[in-house]
Amino acid sequence: MANLKALYDDLQRSFNANDLKKCGTLLSQLKIGLIEAGLLIPQGDPSLDDLIIARDILEIGAIWSIRTRDVPSFDRYFSQLQTFYTDYSSLLPPSKREYPIRGLNLVRLLTQNRIADFHTTLESLPLPADAIADNPYISHPVNLERWLMEGSYSKVWNAREEAPVEEYKFFVDSLMGTIRNEIASCEEAAYESLPLKDATTLLFFNNQSEMLTFAKQRGWQVDLSTSTVIFAKKGEENMEVPKEKLIAASLAYARELEQIV
Amino acid sequence: MPDIDMKDKKEEEKKDKKPDEEDKDKEEPKKEPPTPLAEIKTNVVHIERAVSTIEPRFTHRVLRTLSALRKRIDDGVLRGAVEDVFPKDSQNKSSLLSWLGPAPPSQPQEMDVDSSASASASAPGTKPPTPTAEPVPEVDVYFRLLILHHILKQSNNGADKDKLSKAKELAQETVQKMHALNRRSMDPIAARFWFAVERTYELIGDLAEARPMFLSAQRTAALRHDDDTQASLINRLLRSYLAYSLYDQADKLVSKTTFPASAGNPQLARYHYYLGRIKAVQLNYSDAHTNLQQSIRRAPPAKVAPGFYQAVHKLFVVVELLMGDIPDRSIFRHPVLEKALIGYFEIVKAVRTGSLSQFQQTLSKHASLFQADKTHTLITRLRQNVIKTGIRRLSLSYSLISLKDICVKLHLDSEEDAEYIVGKAIRDGVIEGKLVHEKGWMECSGAGGTKRGYGPEVADVFGRRIGYCLELHNESVKAMRYPLNAHRKELADAAGAREREKELVKEIQEGDLDDEDGDF
Repeated sequence: MANLKALYDDLQRSFNANDLKKCGTLLSQLKIGLIEAGLLIPQGDPSLDDLIIARDILEIGAIWSIRTRDVPSFDRYFSQLQTFYTDYSSLLPPSKREYPIRGLNLVRLLTQNRIADFHTTLESLPLPADAIADNPYISHPVNLERWLMEGSYSKVWNAREEAPVEEYKFFVDSLMGTIRNEIASCEEAAYESLPLKDATTLLFFNNQSEMLTFAKQRGWQVDLSTSTVIFAKKGEENMEVPKEKLIAASLAYARELEQIV
Repeated sequence: MPDIDMKDKKEEEKKDKKPDEEDKDKEEPKKEPPTPLAEIKTNVVHIERAVSTIEPRFTHRVLRTLSALRKRIDDGVLRGAVEDVFPKDSQNKSSLLSWLGPAPPSQPQEMDVDSSASASASAPGTKPPTPTAEPVPEVDVYFRLLILHHILKQSNNGADKDKLSKAKELAQETVQKMHALNRRSMDPIAARFWFAVERTYELIGDLAEARPMFLSAQRTAALRHDDDTQASLINRLLRSYLAYSLYDQADKLVSKTTFPASAGNPQLARYHYYLGRIKAVQLNYSDAHTNLQQSIRRAPPAKVAPGFYQAVHKLFVVVELLMGDIPDRSIFRHPVLEKALIGYFEIVKAVRTGSLSQFQQTLSKHASLFQADKTHTLITRLRQNVIKTGIRRLSLSYSLISLKDICVKLHLDSEEDAEYIVGKAIRDGVIEGKLVHEKGWMECSGAGGTKRGYGPEVADVFGRRIGYCLELHNESVKAMRYPLNAHRKELADAAGAREREKELVKEIQEGDLDDEDGDF
């Protein structure tokens, strides 16, 4: 236990100094220590102080995972933290890192396009609906989701600098990749042609060369003489009759009718 | 909270099944209902018969009268019934009596009741005037159920803390007792008892505490193939999860358990309602829609359980809106729903006209209502639907409209936003049209360009409907109940029919000849 305490102090020091490598080694040692003390998944009747320390360690672990860009590890830390956040919520004093971490989890779900999970998680937050707007950590991902869904991509783009905590920015890049693809698919459907300059601004690119590589990826025609992007119109989708499905359905009806008569 | 009124649905079930009940039931005169005491005593007889003949039907019949009976009992009636049913020096009797209040000194009323009770109770002819043998344990638990309901009623919906702690004690003791007895003939009563247990904990405000108890009981029930209890307990657990917004756990519970198919309508209606809730949160609106529809169909008529009916419809309206449909106008004119759904009606109007400002206004005006109904987050998701409807309306009425006008009409923040939003709407197939960026307008190809005719989606819709009808038919066939040994009679009939057929054949043969003769 004394050993654990020393490690914990060490971890806090190196976490504040942002020494990621040292944090990593300390965290794995601490986790073993927590398991031995029966605190990783609290069992029996541990004291409150121990629980708070265990929660602290896991929270540092979660933030550390984001800083080292290890999303699966964040996922693991987050599920371990769930016990502390839900089951012990009435016993433990609230942690100031709780909502940033919950918010990070929401952003993570958003970037992985797990919208259903996003909403389930949002629904189970121990917050009344009007408090969500007042909580910057939570309202940020909530707004992102709303804008993504209705198509206000420029708002998403502008919000990327307004992250409430540093760690949110880690997800910004992958989020931008997602929305760029979204915008691109919208443009394909909505425009016949688009000036190259406007396309660059619409897709939030800084210069034309980035735009050109992106256009190549998507297989767009670029007319350099008039500097426009031309979107190949997909011809009327040839309507195919789903024969097999219809036959199977008709056979099934025949069988059922046979049973009835 | 929907469940509070749900209790009344048992009454409905009683009415529902009345027609197919057998003639024996007529010993209960319908015109003037028997006194509570007499009813309890008849019920006891029924339970005993159920146990001795291993026929749970009788127990179900007793339980059907529960909610009506519950409203009429009081200390005196319960005390009298316990005194009459249990033998003098029974241990169970004294423990049951200890849960009731102290005996009133004189009970003149009781005497009246008693005389009429013995008259109607002796009608079946099975009831000895003074019991000597201990009644079956099911009777004991039945009394405990009645007493628990009675104590809850006395507690004034949880206002009286003393009564509540007493109820909790009784609940715990009885649960242990039921567990120790482990009798299959007890199952239907046990299922009902769990409901009362949940109600107790909920009134105390500590539903989470009862969860481990429900979970272990559910496990036991599943192992014993105790369908009644299982169905009841799964609903208890779902309710307790949803009360704490633990949708993940609830979803896992649903995927790990199979809801017994033999469960009664009240339980099924509840189960489908909870499923619909979970599915709606998970954005699986079409499944949610099916579940809620099932729930509405299975639910008792609106007048009997208005609370449940309203709760399901609230969610149903929201889910329908999320699916992009506009709910039926008649729902909002229904006498039971009209008042309760007024906030939702305004939301529907906002969505239908596609007015974002009206939507926001309504949302903030009724925010507390939606939060109480736990539909607030679902309704905020409707924002995008409002925008989509707005764009669709614009695309139908204009053939050319500038992005700036769209922005003004839909109350969007900037032209830039409008361009992205319209682009997305075109991609999602909400409207047909194209954007011309250089000129800053949207060209709509109008209604003529939309796909018409019998595409594969039409076949799909038809397929789904036909499938539903066939399933309904098959279910009804399965649900039919045939009288026992009726096939014997049919066999005899068949033999007779064969006889007749033979005669007929003979006659025809003879007749044929005659006819032919006549013809010639």
